[in-house]
Amino acid sequence: MATHESHKKRSGLMDWLTTVDHKKIGILYLLAGGFFFLIGGLEAILMRIQLMEPDSKIFTGELYNQLLTMHGTTMIFLAAMPIIFGFMNAILPLQIGARDVAFPYVNAVGFWLFFFGGLLLNLSWFLGGAPEAGWTAYAPLSTVAEDTGVDFYVLGLQIAGAGTLAGGINFLVTVINMRAPGMTFMRMPLFTWASFVTSGLILFAFPALTVGFFLLMFERVFDANFFNPDMGGNVLIWEHIFWIFGHPEVYILILPAFGIISEVVSTFSSKRLFGYSAMVFATVLIGFLGFMVWVHHMFTVGLGPVANSIFAVATMAIAIPTGVKIFNWIFTMWGGQIRFTTAMLFAVGFIPTFVMGGVTGVMLSVPAADYQYHDSYFVVAHFHYVIVGGLILGLFSGLYYWYPRMFNRVLNETLGKWNFWLFFIGFHLTFFPQHWLGLMGMPRRVYTYMSGQQLDGANFVSTIGAILMGLGTIVLLINIIISASSKHAASKDPWDGRTLEWAMPVPTPEYNFAQTPLVRGLDALYVEKAAGNGEMTPAEPVGEIHMPNGSILPFFLSLGMFVAGFGFIYSNWIVAIVGLGGVLVTMFLRSVIDDHGYHIHKEEVEADIKGGRA
Amino acid sequence: MADHHNTTEPTVHRHEEIQRKLALKEERKHHNVSFVMMILLTIVAFFAIWSDKISDSFAVIFILTLAVVQVFFQLYIWMHLSHKGHDFPIWGMASGVLIAAITVASLMGMIWTS
Amino acid sequence: MNAGERLTDANFPAHPEKATLEGKNKFLGFWLFLGGETVLFATLFGTYLGLRNMHLDGPSGEELFSLPLVFLATMLLLTSSLTSVYAVLSLKQNKVRSLQGWFIVTLLLGLGFLGLEIYEFIHYVHEGHTFTSSAFGSAFYSLVGFHGAHVLFGTLWITTLLVRNWNRGITLANAPKYYLFALYWHFVDVVWVFIFTVVYLMGKVG
Repeated sequence: MATHESHKKRSGLMDWLTTVDHKKIGILYLLAGGFFFLIGGLEAILMRIQLMEPDSKIFTGELYNQLLTMHGTTMIFLAAMPIIFGFMNAILPLQIGARDVAFPYVNAVGFWLFFFGGLLLNLSWFLGGAPEAGWTAYAPLSTVAEDTGVDFYVLGLQIAGAGTLAGGINFLVTVINMRAPGMTFMRMPLFTWASFVTSGLILFAFPALTVGFFLLMFERVFDANFFNPDMGGNVLIWEHIFWIFGHPEVYILILPAFGIISEVVSTFSSKRLFGYSAMVFATVLIGFLGFMVWVHHMFTVGLGPVANSIFAVATMAIAIPTGVKIFNWIFTMWGGQIRFTTAMLFAVGFIPTFVMGGVTGVMLSVPAADYQYHDSYFVVAHFHYVIVGGLILGLFSGLYYWYPRMFNRVLNETLGKWNFWLFFIGFHLTFFPQHWLGLMGMPRRVYTYMSGQQLDGANFVSTIGAILMGLGTIVLLINIIISASSKHAASKDPWDGRTLEWAMPVPTPEYNFAQTPLVRGLDALYVEKAAGNGEMTPAEPVGEIHMPNGSILPFFLSLGMFVAGFGFIYSNWIVAIVGLGGVLVTMFLRSVIDDHGYHIHKEEVEADIKGGRA
Repeated sequence: MADHHNTTEPTVHRHEEIQRKLALKEERKHHNVSFVMMILLTIVAFFAIWSDKISDSFAVIFILTLAVVQVFFQLYIWMHLSHKGHDFPIWGMASGVLIAAITVASLMGMIWTS
Repeated sequence: MNAGERLTDANFPAHPEKATLEGKNKFLGFWLFLGGETVLFATLFGTYLGLRNMHLDGPSGEELFSLPLVFLATMLLLTSSLTSVYAVLSLKQNKVRSLQGWFIVTLLLGLGFLGLEIYEFIHYVHEGHTFTSSAFGSAFYSLVGFHGAHVLFGTLWITTLLVRNWNRGITLANAPKYYLFALYWHFVDVVWVFIFTVVYLMGKVG
């Protein structure tokens, strides 16, 4: 029997570099994603400063293109997705009563790949300039770009994307195989459901992007001709592949936010979620339809009226399940005892904001009208309403809601409300005027505009809004610093929660549940509270708990990819081979070194329970 | 829960053992039959093209059908999708095949527009 | 009991590959991975189908492809798929030597396939059909090369697996690994069935 002998306790930095604990990996994702969120936000504010006045010459031409490319790429791949993965890691296993994720080691690999991929991409700023072909990197713009910016884009995102795919599979298997006794699919909290569907979308959308990046890399590094019309290539291949991935990606982002909103609205209305089954069905349906609509990004390509019409109708259809969700959130609040905490404020702010983004979405889904809106600020306004007004408000809500569970501290509510109002007002000031800018003909991705075209006022307001959003984010940072320095630990269930993640003491024990809980209904913890138990009924006696060992290999595997990335960017094959060789060596070591993990003895678990630590 | 290895009873009953052996024998027979079928399908597809006797458009549909049949043998017999406990793998593969189909169709049919 | 312990006929479970939670997770995770791989190869197939006629001045598929050679490669891979399924049957009967034997045959057939493919590629390059000669060339080598890389990875995988577990018998820890390799190998064969049909056979009818 493998016991503590095979288990080295690590501390400090080494603990974080080698951890395979989903709670710690969740925190790593949140920190790294939060860091990239600040960088992406800074890039946005720099762009808004350039656009504050007409004929401004602060960040022009190439530099502006780099800012807009890196803003979009960073926010989607390096900020939004990792923060979502942070919540999924930290919360999903707790919500289903699991001790761990299905593949703790792969989980660590996924994080480090994302981290090194993001690092590689951002190093481009210091190594000859960032990519400047837009986050969509359309060919031939991306294939003819002379400098190394796009190479950093391709390889950085390829590496980060591999990590995302690994994470997606991990969560699918975790949900299918690791649920506690009684936790049927139709008793899973909505956040878990949304993460499950999102993971499915990742599984089927990311491989297309992987191939797309390979083709683009081959084109740039090995002179392939997929997108080169002179050699028989076709640029539409990139557009299709990118959007076959890219549209599901939109739902990969927004579904977890829907999940968070469902949890928060239900908890702070002190009611079970209205229309739970309809919510689950709508989530699955949105996930499915998400794959069938990518051509609406390409209406102006000229694929013909038949193709455009089919994809227009499919796009409009998505409004139906989304509408179901909106009404269900409103009906959940209806007649509830609502507590307007910061988390709830963000959730309530989310609902009308997201509806506005959805309405412009339906407008854009009409091909004839889309010819007018295409590539204008109207589109910019639309997708910021769904991504910032939807996803980011949802993530803020989730942060305030789950912060006590993740970090054992409650964020300050007064500062939280400042954060909300600054960010919320700033958001609408920034993006609402952009609808008009677009309708008046201002094209997106252009670094300036002339005065005397009635574009000045709205642009000025928009920049003021962006600064307010920045201030709101700074308030959040202050809030985090204050809470970290406070000695006042959170209680285990500060919000009167309804789901399993609130059934453990804080800090959450490394094995999560000392005894796997028995789930007896939807909102498992609430069921026990209503029955007068106050805590979960265990499904098993106290016993030995099997735990995986930490490992430094995920770090080195990802480092190998990072090194290989440089090799490919600079066509230095020795470096590329050294990097890939390092990857193979770590894979080899992982497969030949036996690691069956270790066990926490029954006596230790009993001592933890007695001491209130489990 | 401490230990996930759910080991079977130390002594397998003789009766069960015979049943298992029979099942494995049956399985081996299925594997052999599908191997022969796959070889045959490959040869038929090969000659459908090699002989040059069938019209091109029909030949394409014909050999694609044969390929799909062959893949079903692989997935269901050799990869055991027909066995119990494969519900989620089937869901996974079916979803993958659906997305794969629309991807291929769009890259074939929607890049050479006039 | 320890997952690394050699199983005996007395305690041998009906499904050694799924007898532990870890095994169950690996089994499901790998199947889902194969679902994702399906989309990956579909994207390559789609690219190839979109560009297969764009050979410019270079030779077309119809002029290039030598069907008997590809037919032989197909037979090698198909037979290796059968031998890996025999290995899985041995796995279920706790016959470790027979499992090793069948996987070695699988490995050799896979290496034979790779040899044929390398020979084929060298031949094409001499005919003027290279990765950079046209969009057709890029798409062809990407699709077939990706498959070849999968075969190569498979041979490395099974070699490592066999060497590491040579004297260990079948355990609850290595049974899922053998089983997963077999799944992978079948999947690589499935992809080849479509490459044979779509690239080579359809290449002959234009």
